[in-house]
Parts: sequence; C-alpha cells; structure tokens
Amino acid sequence: MTKTEKPTAHAGATAASQRESVLQDRIENIEKESGAKAVAVALHDGETDFDLHYRADRWFHAASTIKVPILLGVFAAIDRGELLPHSRVHVRNRFLSVVENVPFRVESGRDSNSAVHNSIGKMMRVDELAYHMITTSSNLATNLLLGVIGPESVTQTLKELHVDEGIELKRGVEDELAFEKGISNMVTANGLLKILVMLAEGKAFSPALSRRMMDILHGQEFNQGIPARLPKGTRVAHKTGEISTVAHDAGVVYLPKRKPYSLVVLTEWDQGATGRSRTIASISHAIYETLTGTAVKDE
Amino acid sequence: MAEAPIFPLRVVDGLTLPPEYRKALRPGEEWKDAVGVSRQLPRYFYEVPSWDTAMKIELATHFLLWEFIQVDVREAPALRTFPRYVPCAITLLAVCLERFREAVGTLVHISANGGYRSPSHRFSRNATPHAWGTAANIFRIGDTYLDNRNAIERFSLIARETLPGIWTRPYGTPTGYAEDHLHLDLGYVLSVPRDVNS
Repeated sequence: MTKTEKPTAHAGATAASQRESVLQDRIENIEKESGAKAVAVALHDGETDFDLHYRADRWFHAASTIKVPILLGVFAAIDRGELLPHSRVHVRNRFLSVVENVPFRVESGRDSNSAVHNSIGKMMRVDELAYHMITTSSNLATNLLLGVIGPESVTQTLKELHVDEGIELKRGVEDELAFEKGISNMVTANGLLKILVMLAEGKAFSPALSRRMMDILHGQEFNQGIPARLPKGTRVAHKTGEISTVAHDAGVVYLPKRKPYSLVVLTEWDQGATGRSRTIASISHAIYETLTGTAVKDE
Repeated sequence: MAEAPIFPLRVVDGLTLPPEYRKALRPGEEWKDAVGVSRQLPRYFYEVPSWDTAMKIELATHFLLWEFIQVDVREAPALRTFPRYVPCAITLLAVCLERFREAVGTLVHISANGGYRSPSHRFSRNATPHAWGTAANIFRIGDTYLDNRNAIERFSLIARETLPGIWTRPYGTPTGYAEDHLHLDLGYVLSVPRDVNS
C-alpha cells in the first residue's frame, strides 16, 4: 500500500491486525530460540501509526537505558534556563549511595570512554557530559549530570511531559550498595517508547531541543543491537543498556523516504548467557522487514 | 609619597557592590561554621575584570589567578560571569601554595570548585575557608592523584611540616574528612589591603 492510497477503516484495521499477528509470531519465535528469560518490545511507526506492544508493560532493570530519561531531565533544566549547554560541571568521582549516603566511585575500567575520567579535578561542559553519557554510556558523566540536576527533577520532568509511566528513576548508576538492597532504576518498553516518540516528533520542550537530544542519540557508538541488521545507511538514534542479566536497545530508526519508527527491545537473561545483542538485532530486523515489506540480506 | 602598587587588580569594598553581588558574596556578614561558631565573611575583594586577566596574573611564581577561581554551575550565577570578585586573602594562599610546591618539587593542581567559592555556592553549607579565599583542594601533585589514603596522608604531612599553622583535612569518608583530594587551609583569615580607607 502506498502512502497516498486511502483504505477503508476496516481494510486498514485488518492489515494492521495481520501485521501485528505476523510480528508477534516472529518475535515469539526469536524469543524461544534465544533462550532469553524475557523479551519485551514496543514499537510505534510514525509512517503508518502502526503500534506493537509485546509484553511492553513488563518491568525490567533499566541498565543504561535510564540515561535517556536523564538526558530529558538535563534538557528540561536547559529549557528552564537553569543550565546552559556550555555550563561547566566539576568532574569529581565521588558520589553518595541512596543507601545511608555511603560514598562510592565509578570504576574507570567500566567506562568505555576515558575522556571524562581524564578530566577528574577539572570541568566539563554540560553538553559534553550529555554526549559522553549517551554515545559511550559514560557512567561517570551520568552521575555528574544527575548530581547537578537531581533525580527528583528528572521525575518531575517526566510527569510534566506525561511520560512518567513505565520509568522509575531511583538512583545514579553503579550504586552497588543500592543494587544489593534491590533498589534499581526500572523501565518498561512502553515507558521508554513514549519518550522516544516524543523526541522523534520534536515535542520534547521545543523542536530545537528535541533535535539536539536526537543528535546526541545519533552519536551512539554501540551498534550491535537495533542497527546491526538494518540496511547500510540506515540512521538510528538510540541508547543501549547492558548489565549481566539484561540487554536492551531503545531507538528511533530513520529510513529514506518515510517517517521514522521508534522501537524498544528489552531482554532479560541468565548470567553468562550469550546471543544477547544478536536477539535484539533479530527482532529489529524482523520489524524492519514487516514494516517495509523488504527483506534485508545479512552481510 | 607612596609607591604605586604593582599588583594590578582593583580592591573593592563588597558593601558597595550591586545588590546581586552583595547577596551572593555576603560581605562582612557573620556565618556559622560546622560546629556553630560565627565567622565574619570577607568584606574586601579584588575585582577580576576578565578571564583573560585571570589567566595572566601571577599570584605566585607558579600559580596564576585563574587556578583559584574555577567554579562550576553550582556557583551563584552572578559570580560565574565577569567581573568576578575574590577575597584579598587569596594572595596569602598563593604564597603558601608556592612554598608547598617548592617542598613537593612538582606541579600542584587545584581542583575545580577547590579554590575560592562564595558562601552562595551550592557546596557551601556552613562557613568554610573556601569562602575566605584561604583554602585549596588539591587533586593532583605531579603525576600523583590524591585519591587514596597513602597519597593524601603523605602530602598532608609535607604541607603541615612546611607551612606553619596550616590545617589539612584528615583522610576518610565522613563529613569533615576527604578521600579524593588534599584540603588545606589557613583558617578564616581576613585581609584588608593598605589602600582600603573605609
């Protein structure tokens, strides 16, 4: 069906229903073959308004996908004029756990980017930290930004934007003491999807600020999930999240000559399980094929 | 006839500054420290017209003014733009650090937010010598990061042996201790330059 054709409501609903059924089956099969403990998928296609929600209200440990809501919180502070993109932040590797305010540090070995750690004692700009938080998932940058804006302001921002359902921000990252006590940031696929759709549609604060956030998400350097099995040249603005028991990817997929679609894939695993990124890539691949009616040959 | 001062910065009486500066700097006001003792905040400040100036002015042979006034977004907005104001006692701190540098024989790095910060800075919960311009947080000496007990205690001892009357924060994690820098200070020193007449 081309975009200009106008199907009857019934025909359109039938097509969407068929597509949903096909996709559900494909995702179920991928899930079964993967050995994952749980898989959740949420999809919104801006081109056709097609939605898919596959266990999309199940809660998962957020891992680094929580950095997307934090990015939103940072830009809310910029929108309010409390921060400027070039405001400077003291780079200090000392944070307080939400459990009894016990100090902790972010291990440099767990940040794939050394730029932030190399700036300890000095200052970095808010936009630099936001970039590192997303593109290389710097935990130090994340906790620094959260230290400036405060977790409660992120929660307030999500409420004001009506995207608070499905997101629970309770603490900074690498707060091991909190993790041991079962205090973790949690997300659902639907919760993250709402944020991505809002960003993709330019409705987060202003089109200009939404674009700036999307630009940062476009800089993502970990591309083994959603983008891995999409055609060459596909642009994906996304954020991954991995700890020992979960692997996620949440992003907006831009294809030529059509509106983008937003996709969240959350997965949970036994420790040491393999094939985590491959599973996310397979689901992304299935969705691409179903939405576009095009098969992609793996290279 | 008095000799013209070599030091190029103008001394200003904080009480004559515009309201947004007075509100942030609280010149001459009382402020309680962590144990409830009242301390009088500085009234006289050097006016720093630009970052360029701060980059050029040597407070001591190896310490430029900019190193003492690096503050982040937690500082009061009025004090993050130029002209900036720094308590006159900052020159005493610089001389002490120069002597400390001689003792350690290498570069001494003051951290961001670790030189002068105003009483309105978000880190300033109680009176702290940082708001008098008489404290420094040192995060690195030469190639050594001061983020462990051994490094902090080693350089703390050198500071106390070299600088009579200096106070250093003990190593540790509770409030009042430091675990990722060496804090040293001269206490709540007020400096009133000779050319102040009021």
